[in-house]
Amino acid sequence: MDVKRWLLPEGIDELLPDQAAILEQLRRELLDLYASWGYRLVITPFVEYLDSLLSGVEQDLSLQTVKLTDQLSGRLLGIRADITPQAARIDAHKLQQQMPTRLCYIGSVLRAYPDSQSGSRSPLQIGAELYGHAGIESDHEILELMLATLRLSGLQDIYLDLGHVGIYRALAEYAGLHREQEYALFAAMQRKARPEISQLLENYGLSGPASEMLNALADLNGDATILAQARETLAAAPDAVHAAIDYLQQLGQQTSVPVHYDLAELRAYQYQTGVVFAAFAPGQGAEIARGGRYDHIGEAFGRARPATGFSADLKNLMALNKQPLTRQPVILAPAVADADLEKQIIELRTQGKTVIRELPGQADAISELGITHTLQQNDAGWRLVNC
Amino acid sequence: MQFKTPITIALSKGRIFKDTLPLLEKIGIHPLDDIKTTRKLILDTNQNNVKLVLIRATDVPTYVQWGAADFGVTGKDVLLEHGGDGLYEPLDLKIAQCQLWVAGYPDADTHVRRLRVASKYVQSARDFFHARGQQIELIKLYGSMELAPIVGLADVIVDLVETGNTLKANGLVPLEFITDISSRLVANKASWKTKHEDCKKFVNALRDVIEQE
Repeated sequence: MDVKRWLLPEGIDELLPDQAAILEQLRRELLDLYASWGYRLVITPFVEYLDSLLSGVEQDLSLQTVKLTDQLSGRLLGIRADITPQAARIDAHKLQQQMPTRLCYIGSVLRAYPDSQSGSRSPLQIGAELYGHAGIESDHEILELMLATLRLSGLQDIYLDLGHVGIYRALAEYAGLHREQEYALFAAMQRKARPEISQLLENYGLSGPASEMLNALADLNGDATILAQARETLAAAPDAVHAAIDYLQQLGQQTSVPVHYDLAELRAYQYQTGVVFAAFAPGQGAEIARGGRYDHIGEAFGRARPATGFSADLKNLMALNKQPLTRQPVILAPAVADADLEKQIIELRTQGKTVIRELPGQADAISELGITHTLQQNDAGWRLVNC
Repeated sequence: MQFKTPITIALSKGRIFKDTLPLLEKIGIHPLDDIKTTRKLILDTNQNNVKLVLIRATDVPTYVQWGAADFGVTGKDVLLEHGGDGLYEPLDLKIAQCQLWVAGYPDADTHVRRLRVASKYVQSARDFFHARGQQIELIKLYGSMELAPIVGLADVIVDLVETGNTLKANGLVPLEFITDISSRLVANKASWKTKHEDCKKFVNALRDVIEQE
């Protein structure tokens, strides 16, 4: 038979018992962590009607979403490429609370295109979202929860990258760029392609302070001193820009790890509205977690609520965490029909111990099973013996 | 110039390597090995923390994107094909300059329906013709593109033109200008964040050198 039959599609992977055990351990610890911060788990559907799934995020996620036709309704279904909009829909339509709502989630997502870094098309997305509060306090809480997530995953040196989409947006508006120009310039800005940025601004016939400020934006990145420099360079900018810089400074000061500010970093520009952040680890070519504020996503669902959140790929976090699996004792119970033995097995299993019942022909495979103890009978009854 | 963290720079052999070395020399970085004779692919430099890796031009964006190198020098032509995803392109080094052209016989009509275009630069060719709403048939070639119109494989080619001599020798002429090409410094996004001080120092020093020239 053709061996290629057993291969998985490109960018799709699976976890074998050892890896799955490590991941499951981490998953439980993280969900417990979120619960201890008051974030309640939601389990969102794997497929949804496409128009609902892409509400408010069409431009960012449309190409990434794998589609199929629902045989029952004839409507298009999308397989989720990101759980964040689903959680927003749940907050807007299902919960409808006035109070701030804290939700967390974990689940596989499917992406049409592999992530350019890990090559994965099926990340295991884990994240938390806070709805209904528009201040710096909620951004700070989400940021710290992201950092706590990374620490719990065993990552020590974490670098935080902070940006604010409001800065570029306000400058583009100030310069009078129309939508198409704004996005073309955004693409160049994302690559910090200084030569292209200058060229585009020239093509748009821009000059004076608006052009100078947009030109300078790609270089405004670095430690906290860059913010003072930004206030100077962007002195002529609208108030929104200065408010955003103040916001970044305040948020950065409260943060528990080294912060790198980048005023031209925009990430999911279409649906982000305020602060955007990402975490990096030394030696990793790409970000390991990301998040930010996206206040308008609820509008598409008819109920705009301020929102902020973060997410990461749990499989990626697990791969970065080099801790070996700690093996639990495994007890082998002989294939003997005995009421006392049954009782003993039930008791051990209730205590959380692993008890494997011997099957005929299994005796030789003890080493392969990782057996550490066996149950043996003596005058006093069944007792555990080390292998 | 001293670096606090290890920095790896990816260069491609040939012209880019030859033209980049003087720039690096001016900011105080030069390879220890004799570049004419060495067969090594990783070169140590006079700076303890700086290494050069020698790879194929088209592989440079890939190495940098995945973080296997912090910086790279590569042509804009290569970047246009690669897409530039996950990279910063902070500097135009203004070396290895040339232009991307549509070329063919002097009487070639580039506006015919389903024009057949042969090129190594399929992405750039597609973008150029699609931008004016023209559907084309693309034939991917890896070299000697000038041959394609001569043997009737394609109506026109899209290729880099420096002096135009190769085209001329084969009876072809540049027909339509696509874009200027030069070598760019590219940087890995994560390196930029985690080794920011060194990265910025390196880029600023290079920028000063280029602006002086």
